[in-house]
Amino acid sequence: MAMLRNITIGQYIPGESLLHRLDPRTKILATFLFIVLLFLVDSFVGYGLAALLIFAAIYFSRIPLKFILRGIKPLLVIIILTLSLHLFMTEGRVIFQIWFLKVTVEGLVRGLMMGSRLVLLVMGTSILTLTTSPIMLTDGIESLLKPGRKIGVPAHELAMMMTIALRFIPTLLEEIDKIMKAQMARGADFESGNIIQRAKSLIPILVPLFVSAFRRADDLAIAMEARGYRGGEGRTKFRELKFSKVDGLVLTLTFVYVVVVSIYF
Amino acid sequence: MNQTPIVKLCYVSLFAALTAIGGFISVPIPFSPVPITLQITFTAMAGLVLGSRYGALSQLIYLLLGALGLPVFSNRTGGFAMLYGPTAGFLWGFVICAFVIGLIQEKRKFTQPGAIFLTQVIGLIITYFCGVIGLMLVLKFNALQAFSTGVAPFILLDTIKLVIATLLVIRLQKAKIGI
Repeated sequence: MAMLRNITIGQYIPGESLLHRLDPRTKILATFLFIVLLFLVDSFVGYGLAALLIFAAIYFSRIPLKFILRGIKPLLVIIILTLSLHLFMTEGRVIFQIWFLKVTVEGLVRGLMMGSRLVLLVMGTSILTLTTSPIMLTDGIESLLKPGRKIGVPAHELAMMMTIALRFIPTLLEEIDKIMKAQMARGADFESGNIIQRAKSLIPILVPLFVSAFRRADDLAIAMEARGYRGGEGRTKFRELKFSKVDGLVLTLTFVYVVVVSIYF
Repeated sequence: MNQTPIVKLCYVSLFAALTAIGGFISVPIPFSPVPITLQITFTAMAGLVLGSRYGALSQLIYLLLGALGLPVFSNRTGGFAMLYGPTAGFLWGFVICAFVIGLIQEKRKFTQPGAIFLTQVIGLIITYFCGVIGLMLVLKFNALQAFSTGVAPFILLDTIKLVIATLLVIRLQKAKIGI
């Protein structure tokens, strides 16, 4: 189980580009607009114009294309599957036929559109997470959710839980590694047997994991209480978010572009 | 068990983190867009151990972590796109699954393995239902295509994963851990 080691948390690539310096709130909102755009357009020109917006963002982020394409790789299977299912299973005018597989004009158009929608969706949001660190994003989400406080959205608590969970992940992975080694030293076997046996062999890992994880969570709760944590009310911040003129400009431009493209295409 | 708000906050974060590492332990299957993960084990446990509200909240936090770009979803994917991508139905299904399992457990307080397992099966069916809807909406599949690619290959394995969750929950109940 070497997969538990060497896991880089997040995709963030530090940098000083225009996109890196934008307020996380601007980037989150702009990404939302882009998602809306992708679900509204319904022509190849529309997808082309959406792609243009993406490439503009990539240019301003100064992130090598390689990193953005890397985000698509895990979805390759889904993209190919979508494309082929639409290609072969849509009824319509037949272009050519191999045995029982019919390729239709409608299938080709629909498959290509769905495929490009998926690719663009992934690319668009990769840019957000590549240029913004998880902590900044959490701050951004907290700030964006603040108006929801009045209707009972616990903005601060959500952000706090995300930060704590973020901190727990590497600790838990380390813990699993330790428990597995300890059980292997006692003769446990994780790498052979059928599915049922393998599933059963997870129990001696998961039970100690839960016991120690809950102990950690209890310790953390006591530490927070001891330091006087009382939730978001009146809590000050080390890093304050700043919404600058550039942010306003970028957001307005994106909004206008999205509205125009989704109305006409 | 009646815990303070801060302890609850920590437990919810803990389950979000556990579900996230469940995604790390994932095995891809050829010809299907959905690989095997331990997520459903932790999702079901979140409902059973934390109850409806907090169980669902922990799954929501998990989705948000994925949205931040952490590779916590199946096949080590992450990023905002997953929340409305082809497998999004399954992801949102986790939230509803944990909620419903938690609700049943709050009402009935099961301690027998069989009953706990069946409760989780209800949750699993809900997750599948949401997943199929998601595949149909995003990829424009029909119900049969969605079922045969997204659900059918996983029924056996998911059932085994729920057996694991049942065994763990019984141990945790004996140790009196929970909210």
